Amino acid sequence: MTISADETMIDNDKKQAAVVECRQLTKIYQKLLAGKDTAVCALRNISLSVGEGQIVGLIGPNGAGKSTLLNLIAGLIFPNEGSVAVCGHPARSIEAHRGLGYMPEHPVFLGRYTARAVLRYHGALSGMSKQAISHQTDTLTEKLDMGEYLDRPCTDFSQGMKQRLALAIAMINDPKLLLLDEPSNGLDPIGIIQLRNFLKELRAAGTTIVISSHRLGELEQLTSDYMFMYRGQVVSFADKPSGAHAGRLRIELVSDGKAIAEKLLPPSKVLSATDTKLEVAVGDPREVPDIVIELAKGGARMMDVTLERENIEDVFVRLCNEGT
Amino acid sequence: MKAYELIKETFCRRGYIWIVHVVWLILYGCFWWLFLPRNGTEFGQFGRFLFIWGGFFLPLALTAGIFGDDISSGRICVLVTKPLWPGELYLCRLLGLSLQSTVHFILAGCVLVILHLIVRKGSIEHLGLWLLASWLLFNTVATLSMSLSIVVGRTFNSLLILVVVVTGYFLMGLLGMAMSQKESSGVLTAFIRYPWPPFELLSKLASGEYEKYSLTVGRFSIAKSIACVVHSLVLTVVYSIIGIILLRKRQFSRQRD
Repeated sequence: MTISADETMIDNDKKQAAVVECRQLTKIYQKLLAGKDTAVCALRNISLSVGEGQIVGLIGPNGAGKSTLLNLIAGLIFPNEGSVAVCGHPARSIEAHRGLGYMPEHPVFLGRYTARAVLRYHGALSGMSKQAISHQTDTLTEKLDMGEYLDRPCTDFSQGMKQRLALAIAMINDPKLLLLDEPSNGLDPIGIIQLRNFLKELRAAGTTIVISSHRLGELEQLTSDYMFMYRGQVVSFADKPSGAHAGRLRIELVSDGKAIAEKLLPPSKVLSATDTKLEVAVGDPREVPDIVIELAKGGARMMDVTLERENIEDVFVRLCNEGT
Repeated sequence: MKAYELIKETFCRRGYIWIVHVVWLILYGCFWWLFLPRNGTEFGQFGRFLFIWGGFFLPLALTAGIFGDDISSGRICVLVTKPLWPGELYLCRLLGLSLQSTVHFILAGCVLVILHLIVRKGSIEHLGLWLLASWLLFNTVATLSMSLSIVVGRTFNSLLILVVVVTGYFLMGLLGMAMSQKESSGVLTAFIRYPWPPFELLSKLASGEYEKYSLTVGRFSIAKSIACVVHSLVLTVVYSIIGIILLRKRQFSRQRD
């Protein structure tokens, strides 16, 4: 994934063919006939490139611009500036939509239709033959555990079933790019595991997936490619004192902790220091042995060393607290 | 397959659509049975009833929120991400409505002919013309309603057309009376007659008001009657083009998150 915001680039060295290519995207919401004071800048100068077979997690607080970005990629809204290409075609073109599956946050179906009829309807709209729809319906029903509900009207569905059906609709034409907005909403724990396994299978098969979700623990099990958004901008994880896989090293000492920290460690690394306890920021777990050796050489008498890794939830909270 | 599903959807999208058709057919029958004079020879009185209910109220009932509901519920967000030209979505739905009205008016004609044969009441002269006029008006109003539904939320499109048409005709009537002596009344009449649903021209066509030019006479010039039909079809096309452009240009989003 390559992300750029305000000309800042992050590259994770994956050089696949870009399935999604966003350039200098800016989106401003302004009500018709309303003054410029009411305009809201939802996205500001965002560039993004997502390669084949990647899962990218969009995270950020409410109002950060995650859904706006998904909607722009899906071609549901137009950018004020910049461009979006899906599989090399403009976002709202038929060619782009041939390879696209979109799952909205709040799926709605024709109430009188059964799940099977809904899938047939969307399959037909995707230009599939009757046989292909039937085959894909059987496959998705099995993978998403929907067999029991397939011939029931959608009005009878629980939130979890609606989510499964919405995912099946997005997958009906076997898309290259899957856009998921809060896909695990309303799913029970087994449903969440099934969804996770299903998405992993899709990734293995080469499907590119962009997920907007507040369930950070779930995202962490799917991908390490995140895009943290805050007030319409992308915030780089790497620019922060500790990266996405960073953590803090807790060291218990016999004595003189404060003095040793001042003498041996750069002040930016020391999170807290007392005579018996030290907390050191670690950007990469591979730094730990060097820090320990350095401290030991400097005369520190260590009783216990623990590395507390920072998970995505910690990073999210930290970035939000820092006001990015 | 694609067109079939979209056409089918216009009938299946709401539970009450088949009820509307049945109620309308019953209404035609009741009006014929209860209100037509036993010795009447004119079909015009019933024709106007059929024209207004079938050509105007029926499309309003069938198209209420046809796009508006999809947009306000967010269902459209999935529909427009399918590999479809927006015109396909619009035209297939229009075709679905038009097919429904075709079957509806054929059934209405059958009901009326059977009633006429059973009770020997009224006249069915010009029935075909009134059915044709009603069908043409249905398509025009349905297209206008569908196009309006793309920009008006929920089911308000039909209600808006109803209120505007009733208010508009009332105001235009008043203005027409006030300006009957002035030269500018011709401009006003042309403004009412041509860009809006062709109530006046189609009812004249159906009631044979063009006398020897009427389709029913046939052996004379039928230019005016054909012009009425063409005008109605042109309006349907123009309203459709506006609707398709709106659908292409519109943004669909429920939240700004």
